[in-house]
Amino acid sequence: MVCIRKANVNDLLAMQACNLFCLPENYQMKYYLYHILSWPQLLYVAEDYNGRIVGYVLAKMEEETNECHGHITSLAVLRTHRKLGIATKLMTAAQNAMEQVFGAEYVSLHVRKSNRAAFNLYTETLGYKIHDVEAKYYADGEDAYDMRKQLKGKQLHPPQHHHHHHHHGGGCCSGETKGNAKAT
Amino acid sequence: MGASLPPKEANLFKLIVKSYETKQYKKGLKAADAILKKFPDHGETLSMKGLTLNCMDRKSEAYELVRQGLKNDLKSHVCWHVYGLLYRSDREYREAIKCYRNALRIDPDNIEILRDLSLLQAQMRDLSGFVETRQQLLTLKSNHRMNWIGFAVAHHLNSNASKAIEILEAYEGTLEDDYPPENERIEHGEMVLYKVSLLEECGFFERAFEELQKKESKIVDKLGYKEQEVSLLVKLGRLEEAEKLYQTLLSMNPDNYRYYEGLQRCVGLYSENGDFSPDEIDRLDTLYKTLRQQFKWSSAVKRIPLDFLQGDRFREAADNYIRPLLTKGVPSLFSDLSSLYNHPGKADILEQLILELENSIRMTGQYPGRTEKEPPSTLMWTLFLLAQHYDRRGQHEIALSKINEAIEHTPTMVLAEKTAVLFTKDGDQHNNLHDMQCMYELASAESCFRQGDLGLSLKKFLAVEKHYADITEDQFDFHSYCLRKMTLRTYVEMLQFQDKLHSHAYFRKAAAGAIRCYIKLHDSPPKSTAEEDNEMSKLLPAQKKKLKQKQRKAEARAKKAAEEKNEESSASGTSKSGKRHTKPVDPDPRGEKLLQVEDPLLEATKYLKLLQKNSPDSLETHLLSFELYMRKQKILLAFQALKQLLRLDAEHPDSHRCLIKFFHKVGSMNAPVTDSEKLVWSVLEAERQTISQLHGKSLFEANNLFLEKHEGSLMHRAAVGEMMYILDPNRRSEVVKLIEGSTNNPVPRNGALGPIREWTLKDCIAVHKLLGSVLDDQDAALRWKVRCAEFFPYSTYFEGSQSSATPNSALNQICKTTVNGSSSHSQGDHVVEHVSSNGKLEAFKDLTI
Repeated sequence: MVCIRKANVNDLLAMQACNLFCLPENYQMKYYLYHILSWPQLLYVAEDYNGRIVGYVLAKMEEETNECHGHITSLAVLRTHRKLGIATKLMTAAQNAMEQVFGAEYVSLHVRKSNRAAFNLYTETLGYKIHDVEAKYYADGEDAYDMRKQLKGKQLHPPQHHHHHHHHGGGCCSGETKGNAKAT
Repeated sequence: MGASLPPKEANLFKLIVKSYETKQYKKGLKAADAILKKFPDHGETLSMKGLTLNCMDRKSEAYELVRQGLKNDLKSHVCWHVYGLLYRSDREYREAIKCYRNALRIDPDNIEILRDLSLLQAQMRDLSGFVETRQQLLTLKSNHRMNWIGFAVAHHLNSNASKAIEILEAYEGTLEDDYPPENERIEHGEMVLYKVSLLEECGFFERAFEELQKKESKIVDKLGYKEQEVSLLVKLGRLEEAEKLYQTLLSMNPDNYRYYEGLQRCVGLYSENGDFSPDEIDRLDTLYKTLRQQFKWSSAVKRIPLDFLQGDRFREAADNYIRPLLTKGVPSLFSDLSSLYNHPGKADILEQLILELENSIRMTGQYPGRTEKEPPSTLMWTLFLLAQHYDRRGQHEIALSKINEAIEHTPTMVLAEKTAVLFTKDGDQHNNLHDMQCMYELASAESCFRQGDLGLSLKKFLAVEKHYADITEDQFDFHSYCLRKMTLRTYVEMLQFQDKLHSHAYFRKAAAGAIRCYIKLHDSPPKSTAEEDNEMSKLLPAQKKKLKQKQRKAEARAKKAAEEKNEESSASGTSKSGKRHTKPVDPDPRGEKLLQVEDPLLEATKYLKLLQKNSPDSLETHLLSFELYMRKQKILLAFQALKQLLRLDAEHPDSHRCLIKFFHKVGSMNAPVTDSEKLVWSVLEAERQTISQLHGKSLFEANNLFLEKHEGSLMHRAAVGEMMYILDPNRRSEVVKLIEGSTNNPVPRNGALGPIREWTLKDCIAVHKLLGSVLDDQDAALRWKVRCAEFFPYSTYFEGSQSSATPNSALNQICKTTVNGSSSHSQGDHVVEHVSSNGKLEAFKDLTI
């Protein structure tokens, strides 16, 4: 029904439109550009048979922390195209790229406490676990679950509160910082 | 910098620069004032103070100081550089480039200024200038990776990919064998992939492939590697290897249609238009049966065969495909199947198939040949699918009865709401559609235009235009960012995207909309206050009071709404990058100030130029150009527009209209007096000879000939009629007869149950307006309305018997259900009109169901 493929720059306008249809958290075009021009491997789209974008995942690498990890910035699938497993396929593609290209140890995301459907997808289908709760994370005052999933092939780390991370000069995912992470 | 100052002040000057860079503007300002106390005319200090104030939103002071500083020290590259930065901050890039050039004349090797210049050149696509500046930077600092890469990219952008390859190779020559260090592996891998893509672009497939293989260990992005490899294998004709690689790629992502397409190409089973011989179909069938075994979870392997299978095999595959999706309840099923309606015969098979499913579920609660009971929702989704099917085939009555039944039948409200959501733009998300995107604004602008609210309409069209200008602006920061990040393939792709951004359909619609607003504004300028007072004076005092009260209330409401909105947005304006920031109160919420432009046609010309540049093959561009230049009395420019129209589609009714209108107007002009008038005259005289439609014919004859050619078409007859009236207003009754003499013929279509006819609602409304407004024949307009109400029983415009204009009509019922009882749905009528138009559910088009 839909094609799951890497996004290119020409998809960004349609991704933004899809986001506006689906989610209350919206972003300016520059934020999409920033993602694709930083981590082009981490953006995926679902394209229907008529060439329209009906879902996307927008993801990034966290560069400020010493433990290399990916983060899902935004995931959306049009209501008309749900129940087809599209979100799972998009997420899997992005997670694989995080691990394979950038050597991510784990992947994190935020989800509204009230969003049961998304929460179930993350916990039951995709294997995310609640790491923390961020009070009033959303603009309307709702709390977010800070969720994480350890990527396969990586050994399990004890959960760390990310506020305590040291800030390094270099980005994460560089061998240097990875070396440091192993040393600690 | 600050060279002419004594040590104490020179240090203070350094502090200003540092404060500017670290955004500690107050500190910088204090230091500047300390210097100026002793040396009030010091040019560079004045300039830096100006630049600092610019960052503190004190723009006019900033310009004054920067100009004063420059005047006092014309020989300072600092002053020129600062002037350039000031212009850059206001997006005045051309002016900024001039300033940088002046600065470089004084200090030719200043790396900072060269770098700033190169960014502007990239932004403005001054590509040869960009190459030159990048070369200078590399010469000055060849130990910087970024300077090598920048020089290579500059050549690539300047259409010299092979030079770019040479530069990258020279750069690689400077690297040690064990390069890259662990922390630069990703960047280096990206550079290698960029180089390979350049080789591919140049057609050096062999070299590209060798390079790729040689550097395999240095490429971190393995998927990127494989995709590049397969592309090269295909181009090298090494199809067996490519086939294997596509299989590998499919095992990584069995839902990527491009891999299937690639695989088909490799085994010689690809066809651009989807036509295959029976033998090829057999082979494809076998191929996909195997793939289906391999990739059980892929939906693609199930869907693709529906495209190539025919007859009974198609029927069987479609049956297997559709059943589980109806059971699951997938609203997008019809959209998924819709491309099959272009294949001959498949729509009929689908119709039979779905009717059989419907029938079986009704009778037994099961699919044919099954023993499991279907959940009650299956019937609802089957009816929903059927409704869309009949709608697509133009059989609106059956479509409506199916959708009605679906809604009535639905056992639980949840499901009904799910359906309703389809009709109401995904639930109550109107509030979430902020001003940063265009679709919503575009629809809303068009609606305002129809309702005659020119100010608001214009405001919204211009907002869309602004949105596009902002995207163009967005690229600026990435010119340097991508050279560091090395995401060069994506960067080049982004620049190409930007170059054709303004040919995007949304932009085209917004620009055309704005031009129409300005034309309307020119044709009927808004009433001045005096005129309004005059109208007010005609009212009784009590009426006046009431009206004024009403106006005051409306203003207060608008103000309050604006304030509330502000609070709302400041609450959501988080500091996270990318998320929206607080916005000041809109000083012109209704777009009234926009209507006070001095010269609306001049404003319109700005947007027309963008259309001419970016959408030269759109008929609308040249229609608007024609309308604009006719009003501006720019005869030759109007003629150019006409020539473009004839080039694009001489048989289009609007092209014909422009042709006749133009030469009618030329014929009615006074004989030329001045030399330039005479010149225009002679040009037109010569050009007229080259237009075949007019060759040796009068305008009447040309008009009649056009009618002969397109006698059966309503819109062509209307155009001919309108032109006949323009050429000779005395022939009005003849024109009315011509239009009323049109017939709405049935469209022959296989297997259709109800009669489908040629005329569309949109065209019929246009003809109604022509009769009523242009020809001013109210009787004829009324006759037309009655006639069209027969053809379009669901039309509110023509007050058809089934339309929402009549109470308790079927459509009225649906709308009550579907808009979820939301009374604020002011576009309700408009949506209804679209639903009923030619059945394409036009209001849905943008909804990407």
